[in-house]
Amino acid sequence: MGFEFSVITESLPALLAGAKLTWIITILGIVGGMICGILAGLGRIAGTASLGEEPHGIFKPLSVMTRYISGGYVETIRGTPIIVQAMFLYFAFPMLVKAVTDIERFRIEALTAAVITIIFNAGAYIAEIVRGSVVSVNKGLLEAGMSLGITRFQLIVHVIGPIAFRRMIPPLGNQFIISLKDTSLFIVIGVGELTRQGQEIMASNFRALEIWLTVAVMYLIMTTVLAMSLRKIERKMKIF
Amino acid sequence: MSSMIELKNVCKSFGETEVLHNIDLSIQEGEVVVVIGPSGSGKSTLIRCINCLEMLSSGELIVDKIKIPEERGKVRQIRLEVGMVFQQFNLFPHMTALENVAFGPSKARKMNKAKAADIARDLLDKVGLADFEDKLPGQLSGGQQQRVAIARALAVSPKVLLFDEPTSALDPEMIGEVLDVMKNIARDSGMTMVVVTHEMGFAAQVGDRLIFMDDGKIVEEGKPGEVMKNPKSERLKDFLGHVKHH
Ligand SMILES: Nc1ncnc2c1ncn2[C@@H]1O[C@H](COP(=O)(O)OP(=O)(O)OP(=O)(O)O)[C@@H](O)[C@H]1O
Ligand SMILES: [Mg+2]
Repeated sequence: MGFEFSVITESLPALLAGAKLTWIITILGIVGGMICGILAGLGRIAGTASLGEEPHGIFKPLSVMTRYISGGYVETIRGTPIIVQAMFLYFAFPMLVKAVTDIERFRIEALTAAVITIIFNAGAYIAEIVRGSVVSVNKGLLEAGMSLGITRFQLIVHVIGPIAFRRMIPPLGNQFIISLKDTSLFIVIGVGELTRQGQEIMASNFRALEIWLTVAVMYLIMTTVLAMSLRKIERKMKIF
Repeated sequence: MSSMIELKNVCKSFGETEVLHNIDLSIQEGEVVVVIGPSGSGKSTLIRCINCLEMLSSGELIVDKIKIPEERGKVRQIRLEVGMVFQQFNLFPHMTALENVAFGPSKARKMNKAKAADIARDLLDKVGLADFEDKLPGQLSGGQQQRVAIARALAVSPKVLLFDEPTSALDPEMIGEVLDVMKNIARDSGMTMVVVTHEMGFAAQVGDRLIFMDDGKIVEEGKPGEVMKNPKSERLKDFLGHVKHH
């Protein structure tokens, strides 16, 4: 039983369908994870000098609360395996809903569960990336902005944001690639992504070498595309 | 004459340590006040209080009739009237010289882009950097960066400009170009200026008043020439001796 090239061509349509699903989960996960991560990352430093000046009045307790909620979210996600998160969302969460409400037939589609898991999982790690880069922005620049009389929102959007974003790109690239590879874990909830497609074909023809080699190359191509797009963004930004 | 800036019995503490003790100071419109004093005497803290980068621990600050802490919500209004130039320039590294200067007018004063750029070009020309508008801060010398920073502060048309040791981070050969720009502003615009500096020549030439601070207090003040010629306290004599030898 040598290397049979025809095995690859025969299984290619199914593998490509799997790769397409992997890509869709990843892109939705990354986009949602960015939104989630920016909110939680800024939430973790709400009301601190890293985002301008410290608040007063009602905003003080509000910012403390925001910090706790964001921190709780990040630590919960970082402290549990993604596979457990996916299992919880897909199997346990519907039961929880059933237990506390009277909705009888609550279900989450496997694909939906996969996307939501990636969003929240990537979001927590991206939150840490966001927090780290925002905190590292030179305070003198914030003071220069504030002394011009701009609002906190303008300060975040026009000064802190662009400077921090540039520092975020390398660790973000890392996280995007990790998230893409994490989608292979959704094999456990039956999402027909690339790894599961490979597993199924393998189970029927036992051609491990051809199948896993092809699967590995497909992952490599997708991670390379992600890495290259980020490098392109990095190059487009002004050097400073 | 009306007071542009007034500090009444101002104290400022960081944690347990009080670094400004019961400061009373009144600065008139158009006045150029130079602040000197040894390191750690509270010069930076004092001028940072004026544009609310530091909040008073007690006492009152009145800038252009806005009272702090009574009208705490108007801090941003004070900052629109009080520009600041920093020792480390603090130009926005991702913006060109022109963008740095146009930023204030377009965002803080909500002008349209074209008008803000016109103002910025005009000011860059005034500080002698018309040919550098497309340069990023990283591509400029220290002296050039500080001149852009001055233009940036001027661009929102403030009534007061604060300078915190604007030439201390510069190589000696660049100090002159920055001081010249500051002298021109003092002479031509009638701007109220508070300048922390150890450039005694500048103080004598354009200062209306010289303030000597030590240990969080104003120890001596008066016409720069007189204060420098006849220092009353030992501490100021000492201090002037040190500055002259550098
Ligand atoms: N954010 C801060 N937290 C704690 N202490 C501070 C802070 N800022 C200043 N201080 C302290 O307050 C005192 C006055 O500092 P300030 O920077 O106003 O002095 P300065 O006269 O400007 O000195 P220099 O000539 O070195 O700039 C110093 O003892 C300093 O250590
Ligand atoms: Mg200082």
